Amino acid sequence: MIFMLLLLVILFSVLTVKQQHPTGANAGDQVGKTILAQYGKGARVLVVTRDTEEDRGFAQAAIDRLKAAGADVLGQVNGSAIDARKTIESILAEGQTIDAIAANDVTAKWTVYDRFPSVGSAKCVTPKPYMWPNFLKLSNLMSVANQTAIYAIIAIGMTMVIITAGIDLSVGSLVALASVSSAIFIRDYCGGTEASVTMVVLGAFVGIGICAAAGAFNGLMVTAFQIPPFIVTLGMMMMASGLSFRLAEGRSIPELPSAFFWLGRGQTFGLPNPVLLMIVLYLLAHFVMSRMVFGRYIYSIGGNEEAARLSGVPVKRVLLAVYMICGALAGLGGIMLTSQLSAGDPKFGLMYELEVIAAVVVGGTSLMGGQGKIFGTLIGAFIIAVIKNGMNLTDVDPFNQKIVLGAVLTAAVLIDRLKRHA
Amino acid sequence: MVRLSLAMILCLLMVTSGCGKAPSESSSKIKSQDPASVQNKGTIGFSALTLTNPFFKVIADNMQEEAAKHGYELIVLSAERDVKKQADHVDEFLVKGVSAIILNPCDSNGIGPAIKKANDKGVPVFTNDIKYDGDEGKVVCHVATDNYQGGKLAGEAMVKLLGDSGGKVAILHFPQAESCQLRVKGFHEIVNAHNGKTKNAKIEVVATLDGGGVRDEGFKGTKDVIESNPDLAAIFAINDPSALGARAALEAAGKADQVTIIAFDGQQIGKQAILEGKILCDPIQFPDQIGKVTIEQIIKYFNGDDVKTEILIPSKLHYKEDAEKDPLLKG
Repeated sequence: MIFMLLLLVILFSVLTVKQQHPTGANAGDQVGKTILAQYGKGARVLVVTRDTEEDRGFAQAAIDRLKAAGADVLGQVNGSAIDARKTIESILAEGQTIDAIAANDVTAKWTVYDRFPSVGSAKCVTPKPYMWPNFLKLSNLMSVANQTAIYAIIAIGMTMVIITAGIDLSVGSLVALASVSSAIFIRDYCGGTEASVTMVVLGAFVGIGICAAAGAFNGLMVTAFQIPPFIVTLGMMMMASGLSFRLAEGRSIPELPSAFFWLGRGQTFGLPNPVLLMIVLYLLAHFVMSRMVFGRYIYSIGGNEEAARLSGVPVKRVLLAVYMICGALAGLGGIMLTSQLSAGDPKFGLMYELEVIAAVVVGGTSLMGGQGKIFGTLIGAFIIAVIKNGMNLTDVDPFNQKIVLGAVLTAAVLIDRLKRHA
Repeated sequence: MVRLSLAMILCLLMVTSGCGKAPSESSSKIKSQDPASVQNKGTIGFSALTLTNPFFKVIADNMQEEAAKHGYELIVLSAERDVKKQADHVDEFLVKGVSAIILNPCDSNGIGPAIKKANDKGVPVFTNDIKYDGDEGKVVCHVATDNYQGGKLAGEAMVKLLGDSGGKVAILHFPQAESCQLRVKGFHEIVNAHNGKTKNAKIEVVATLDGGGVRDEGFKGTKDVIESNPDLAAIFAINDPSALGARAALEAAGKADQVTIIAFDGQQIGKQAILEGKILCDPIQFPDQIGKVTIEQIIKYFNGDDVKTEILIPSKLHYKEDAEKDPLLKG
């Protein structure tokens, strides 16, 4: 599996090699030097950047370099093309001429310079581009990890359920239920946007708790009444979705305090919090599944439930716990999504159950139960995320993307079959 | 055997990404002959609400055409109403280094953090059809149909229909959407103004139901309304699918001749229904205009012109006479 992920990474790295345009202080310094070399020390220069952190660094470095050499910096634009127009107008109105424009790739592409016959975009001096795959940009890799984190966390519970030869279709709806119930709790009982950190944590646990209860209900139906998991969780999927739409009256609930956004949007040790949480939970789950008795029970139930029962495994209690864990993790996913998108919404989590089951299956867990690895699921989730991200970066038509994802899922199950017969 | 299957998947992937890659490869070739930077001024990313609704497909196609005219390449992605997916699209646009981003927000609030992210990277964001409501990020310009004016047109059509006789009217609403609230508001305004002037021929709105903007909800709602108001004279539906649902319910109840429907939108199915006399008329929207105008604003923005924060495109009443002139409809 990891082999396939690596292949995909290499494939998309090759396919997305594109010209990259540096910005920031080094690039600014470089542009300053180029202008001095081309136009001499008396160059009259306009510096055009956007109002972003990197661009401000670029502008500052360029201006420092130019001024140190004695060049004349006529003005600095720090904003949009409209600001550039106004600045150029006022410079020309004073009767000055512009020799060169220090710009980065983006501001050089603005068409505003061609409005003025004496300026023109040919006067833009930009930093030298270099080649690098879009896919391998740090910001892209981070966002792939960040986008996958929620699916991957829900997939932990799903892996456990599938290893017991069960299935849980309700996770998508539970994402919505957790999102809506915690948002409503915070809005109605904790003062909405004014809520304190303690109340936010409490609100998050209310959402997770409700989903854990829903998961326990699933487990109870499966164990006590022998209803097939497919049917029980299908019922829960509809009930939870209906309930969340009812509670939220079909609308989104944006009245949340900014403390709520830390989980989904904050960073710790340079990693986005969802990614960090994902790593911690996977390590924990791996430990549980491979080192603890509970984990061994889960595998033995999936292998042969009757044999497990006869050899003294508390089958019902274990199954109940597994469905409860799955529900609680779906709830956690819902809280994270709410935090990322800064609103509770009954429309969240649509089709997540399929995304998550796909990640588990691609990760090599058998739908027949008894086989599978936690880290396999993590890799499965990343395989799907990398394919999606890569296809978006290579401009694959949205409809074709669905075909590819469907084919990947089918192929993964095919491999599972072939392995069993081999 | 495992290796074999892996190879199979990868082949498939290569093929698909190969198809998708073709246009962008050719555009990078243009880029390499550098004086032709006039040829390729950059890319614009568009994350549509959904591409399965023809309305947004028309917007996307027209934007693509208009962007190409001005030397921009438009990347179209479909968020399928999932706001998380749309936020991920924005991430990918930023990685690709697009010059501008266009959105049909899947959630008027939830898309805020993504817009903020684009703002922080200095990439301007434009919206069309659906407005962003929050205050976290900044949208340069919003282009949409003037729904309020369209609602008024529907009201005028209703007054023209029932102005002399008066009668009972039901509204098939979709209150979740701000655009539909505006449509109904405009409608009420004209009808109320008429009722203020007349004594006997009052147009009475007897029911406002949630038709969900879809066929089956419109069908169910209308069935209930004609049960409780057997003498209903007309229905105003906020879009074509719910109007057609209403029509089906009227036909089933044998009241198709008694109750007249005025709808909204002017999608292909709606225009066809107008031609067939199933719907009296629609204030129609112009998705092609919405697309073109949006791109025009982006061009203006990069050209340093002042851009208005909101542009509303007026709608027009479309009757059977207009539908007959339309070459795309089958008579």
